[in-house]
Amino acid sequence: MKRVMVIAAVAVLGLAMAQGRTVHLLWSGAVTGPTSDVGGPYGAGIEDYCKHANEQRLIPNITLNCTVRDDQYQNPNTQRIFEEALDRAKPAMYLGYSTGAMLQLKPLINEVKMPTLPASAHIGLIDPPNNQYMFLPVSSYSEQVVALMEYINRTDKNARIALVVNPSPFGRAVVDHARRAAQRLGQTIVDVREVGGGNLDNTALLRALDAAGAAYIIHQNVAGPVSNILKDAQRLGLNRKIRQMGAVYTGGSDLIRLAGDAAEGFLWASSYFTLDENTPGINLQKQLAQRYNRSADTLNSTNYTAGMLAAAIAVETMRRAAQRFNGRVDNETVYQALIGMNGPNAFRPGFAVSTKAGIEIDFTRTEQTGAEGLRVLEARGGKFVPVTDPFTSALFRQVRNP
Amino acid sequence: MRNPWAQTGNYRTSYVQDTTIFANYREIVSLVLFLVALCTLPLFLERSQVLVLNFILIYAIAVLGLNITTGYAGLISVGQAAFMGVGAYTVALAAPDLPFWLTIPLGGITAAIIGFIVGIPSLRVKHLYLALATLAFQEIFVWVVGRSPALAQGAAIPVEMRNFLGLEIGFRNHNYFWYYIILLVLVLMVIAWRNLLRGKYGRALIAVRDNDRAADAMGMDPGRTKLMAFALGAFYGGVAGGLLAYMQRAVVVEEFTLGRSVALLAMAIVGGLGTVVGSLLGPAFIEFLRLYMERLSEWMKASAFVQNITPAGVDVASALLPLSFGLVIVLFLIFEPRGLFNWWRLLRSYFRTWPFKY
Repeated sequence: MKRVMVIAAVAVLGLAMAQGRTVHLLWSGAVTGPTSDVGGPYGAGIEDYCKHANEQRLIPNITLNCTVRDDQYQNPNTQRIFEEALDRAKPAMYLGYSTGAMLQLKPLINEVKMPTLPASAHIGLIDPPNNQYMFLPVSSYSEQVVALMEYINRTDKNARIALVVNPSPFGRAVVDHARRAAQRLGQTIVDVREVGGGNLDNTALLRALDAAGAAYIIHQNVAGPVSNILKDAQRLGLNRKIRQMGAVYTGGSDLIRLAGDAAEGFLWASSYFTLDENTPGINLQKQLAQRYNRSADTLNSTNYTAGMLAAAIAVETMRRAAQRFNGRVDNETVYQALIGMNGPNAFRPGFAVSTKAGIEIDFTRTEQTGAEGLRVLEARGGKFVPVTDPFTSALFRQVRNP
Repeated sequence: MRNPWAQTGNYRTSYVQDTTIFANYREIVSLVLFLVALCTLPLFLERSQVLVLNFILIYAIAVLGLNITTGYAGLISVGQAAFMGVGAYTVALAAPDLPFWLTIPLGGITAAIIGFIVGIPSLRVKHLYLALATLAFQEIFVWVVGRSPALAQGAAIPVEMRNFLGLEIGFRNHNYFWYYIILLVLVLMVIAWRNLLRGKYGRALIAVRDNDRAADAMGMDPGRTKLMAFALGAFYGGVAGGLLAYMQRAVVVEEFTLGRSVALLAMAIVGGLGTVVGSLLGPAFIEFLRLYMERLSEWMKASAFVQNITPAGVDVASALLPLSFGLVIVLFLIFEPRGLFNWWRLLRSYFRTWPFKY
């Protein structure tokens, strides 16, 4: 009898092992509440890529349990969701979201050694202290803004530039770096204004910037406030006088949808490929959106691409961790796999542009930015088209830690 | 002599009796039992559940303060989150040099000084106009923090405490450690609250709220009373903010915006304005409502049935939380303006007078 029971137990155990283990991946972000126009598609991208990873068995012998939680852009909710996950089913990797919550969670993330890929590209996340386990999927907001300033400098030396930023740490992150870059480039920052949602009339703002002699406005914001400013600039006839541009969350299909033809000519710094490009990542995005019945708005959103890229990095890192550490996939092995994702082991999912060295996504222990290449795109005929080749801002590296 | 264990009504016949902290022994025993229950509660909870309790207790301290300013003195304040922020930033700046048992009172004192200043308009304006003055302070606070490099322009300032009297404080025991600290602070603050309000200063608050001219005619100083109410309310807010800073390991301005002030006011209304029990029930109710609505919302999103019966483009699940939050406040204002405290009072009366109806 005893023997039968032992055999049965071994058989059950063997069956369970053959079925594979479950590894947890957590994302919490603003599916509702402020910035949900970004968080909704971003979360959908993660959800869909996870389903795809399980269906295609991208991590052999491992089932991915992807938890997508709505924190409503409330920091206490983010903290609770993260700690709940640590208590119940410790994730091997955490995909975060907002700047404030991520900055607040940095000490805890460092303490529990959780590799984290936030949606926010605030440079403070990967600056010391407590930055060891933070990794940005794409170049930081600061780098995007400095890259735009370098782009301006290609054709217009000594340009006069105004910064219009979100009234939050997310918006203000870029100001110091932009000032330092302007100094080196011989440009002048004529004004820095903070504009949030609900900016229904921007006449005073635009008139003031015009009076200050601003030839360019660089936005660090989300698409909503930027679209209102673009529409007002068109109404006032200032769109021909002042060139407007912005970092990653300002542009994309959301801006075109909200601003209509007022978006024409808007310049956008982004690391992501557009939906019109034929790359493996974008093709997969189209397939998955169709397979999982996503709306056209979701499919067209760059934030859907961004969510997929974050999930793709997580899945690939887990796959490599499983391969390298005999099936052991946890936060420690995933961290090792992530910092080993460079050189010949760089990752090329086809969601973001590559640098001149042909590298799309790479990380090291000290270089915590994934896609370092970016392009400037211009809104033309209702869509964004690239006007530069992919490049990396050399100046940003000089002004980051002067 | 009446049986002090089975008193069925308010038989206080003298000023001395009326100023007692506890009406009868039963209140003392039930309080002790309640505290024992609160002390043992974390033993049965997960770390993240203790985190939820910590938030509730911190908000309870802030709501106690709001109940002095708004509940007792009748001065509408929509700046309580900013007072919390003053306390939190004071703690963040002082924490590298001072122990937490000094930084937290320091946060409270700083907030009280700011509260005193913010209260000055209350000498001239009342009701909605005063609410607007406090709203202005709330906005000014966020604006000032956003433009102060010393305060990281609203980005995170780490507030870490790794060791207390040789006890290592880390991820595993952080929430438990702060639970007991917050609970201790809450008990002390409640005792101080009761002690203050049973005396002449507390009565002056009520008198000024009900009719400041009459109070003035009776020898009270309405101006000083109002400023005291603001300073005290802000002190409670500052202490709550300081505790929040330690509990969250960092201070970020997003925690102290108008939305949080409105939520604290909602907690005070739902709990029952001007009551200790309401100050505990309100935050607990709102936080649990948030938790359960979040779960319901997630279930609705995952349910094919719910998705099929809702019209395309209408995201009921996402709207559930703000809808329920607003609805609860409106329903309480209409049907139970005395808040959950009144239910608590009725429940106690029922058991006290059992088997009789009244």
